[in-house]
Amino acid sequence: MSARRSTARQVAKGVLVALLLVFTLFPVYWMLNSSLDAQAGHTSSFWPAEPTLEHYTFVLTEGGFGGFLRNSLVVALATVLVSAVLALLASVAVARFRFRLRTQILMLVLIVQMVPLEALVIPLFVQVRDLQLLGTLLGLVVVYVALALPFGIWMLRGFVAAVPVELEEAAYLDGATWGRMFRSVLLPLVAPGLVATSIFSFITAWNEFIFAMTMLGGATESYTVAIGLRSFFGVHSNDWGAIMAASTIITVPVMIFFILVQRRLAAGLTSGAVKA
Amino acid sequence: MTAQAPPTPRSSGQAPAGAGRAAAGWSSRTRAAVARPWLLLAPALLVLAVLLLWPLVRVFLFSLQDYGLREITTGEPNWIGLRNYGEILTAPELWTVVLPNTVGFAVLSVAGTVAFGTAVAVLLASLGPFWRTVTSSAIMAAWAMPAVTGTYVWVWIFDADRGVFNDTLMNLGLLDDPTNWFTNRWTFYAIVLLNVIHHGFPFVAVTVLAGLLGVPKEMLEAAEMDGAGAFRRFFSIVVPQLRQVFAVVIILSTIWDFKVFAQVYLMPGGAGSNRSVLNLGVWSYVESFGQNRYGFGSAIAVLLTLLLLVITAVYVRTVLAEEER
Repeated sequence: MSARRSTARQVAKGVLVALLLVFTLFPVYWMLNSSLDAQAGHTSSFWPAEPTLEHYTFVLTEGGFGGFLRNSLVVALATVLVSAVLALLASVAVARFRFRLRTQILMLVLIVQMVPLEALVIPLFVQVRDLQLLGTLLGLVVVYVALALPFGIWMLRGFVAAVPVELEEAAYLDGATWGRMFRSVLLPLVAPGLVATSIFSFITAWNEFIFAMTMLGGATESYTVAIGLRSFFGVHSNDWGAIMAASTIITVPVMIFFILVQRRLAAGLTSGAVKA
Repeated sequence: MTAQAPPTPRSSGQAPAGAGRAAAGWSSRTRAAVARPWLLLAPALLVLAVLLLWPLVRVFLFSLQDYGLREITTGEPNWIGLRNYGEILTAPELWTVVLPNTVGFAVLSVAGTVAFGTAVAVLLASLGPFWRTVTSSAIMAAWAMPAVTGTYVWVWIFDADRGVFNDTLMNLGLLDDPTNWFTNRWTFYAIVLLNVIHHGFPFVAVTVLAGLLGVPKEMLEAAEMDGAGAFRRFFSIVVPQLRQVFAVVIILSTIWDFKVFAQVYLMPGGAGSNRSVLNLGVWSYVESFGQNRYGFGSAIAVLLTLLLLVITAVYVRTVLAEEER
């Protein structure tokens, strides 16, 4: 009897896993399917009725998506570089030193992450406009650094704190200065955390939509991928094959990065919440 | 969880810098050690102050003005006191459309995300290593999908004329004519809900799974010996053990779901042309950048921020309470 019960259990579990896989993967599958189907937008079929790569070539050549990709890459890499340096320095300060106002600064870092972008977009639009940076990539980088920084500090702080203080003390005993210790002991040990944080900043800048839409306005030549996508929407009909091909191009790098850092990301998000 | 931060009570400002040093030059070294954290923090604090805190002050100042295109170009203030807030709070639209769309949606999506994510975590915990890896990779794919492209894919799936959803229903004979699901407020938000749950449950599943794997096996086995069923074991042993995990997951999801913007704005009619699907964020944005009523939009944004601040206060207390233990 127990054997039959456990078989029934296995079957039920199999069905649940299958349903879960269908639900999670269907949008990704449908995106790929439409992007590869010349008939996309005319007939809907569950596999490409007329397999083709023409949507991709259209998007990258006539669609001007190559330029959008370059813009996004420039913005994202600049954001990563600047925010990684700032976040690392700040996280060492809050993880390694006890000083007055430390708790208050940590609180501030936590709280600013919750501020809705809709509240920041109006004053930052005015600010960037006063600096005459509307429509430029530099204006976006400045904003994205600010958006990526609090989370970066919060996450890196955990990685810095996890480095045993004994290692630092040993370096001092060997006569190292603080700067030398930072370069030769702390930095190499925090490197994995720095990579994870950088990838997060990259994704933030790559996916961001509301600021790109507001600050770039009509400056088509500086569009990033997230808003460049809108150029494939027509007034009366949408070119779904092209939209899905462009969406795939945007999504693939993010997915690769995401799978690389999934564990650390989940850990950083809840650091302190889950007992090891 | 690898990034878990153990508290480091031994690291004080002075100790590392002063350890093992001769007494000579002590005071200048101490001063350097006191200044060091502030030097390290300075660039980050400057960025946060100029780009996050000052804008927050400014959005509040804008909300007290009739701030339009003229004020933006001239930079002259135009104070009207609390009139923007008065107009918002007396707008019937706020009470019948915007607040229900914001709060009601957040409640439903948090409940849906947490319940579904937890169920998935329980399923994952019961799988062998192979299927667990396969399934969690699929979950990562759902999580990694950017909100913008994810929203477009759902719009395409539910497209009125050519979408696979309508086509399938019509082929099955469940639907006679193509239906536009985006014009009706309820079906519009049902699609947003599907989108948000699909994008949000992986975080819950991964976090709760990590917690589940940490629940001592002995406790579960002892309960089973005592005759407790699976449900009983889950609600009496696992849930209390994971109280902290659930608190964080629920509060973070609440904060995220109050702020949904792209998922609504990018849907057909979501950018303000269909007034019945406005939420607080989108309302603020379309009043500001669509109508050039930046002051009025700022006041809406301030209200949304206050709402989130209350939730954040709960979050901070939960996290700090955990760190002090």
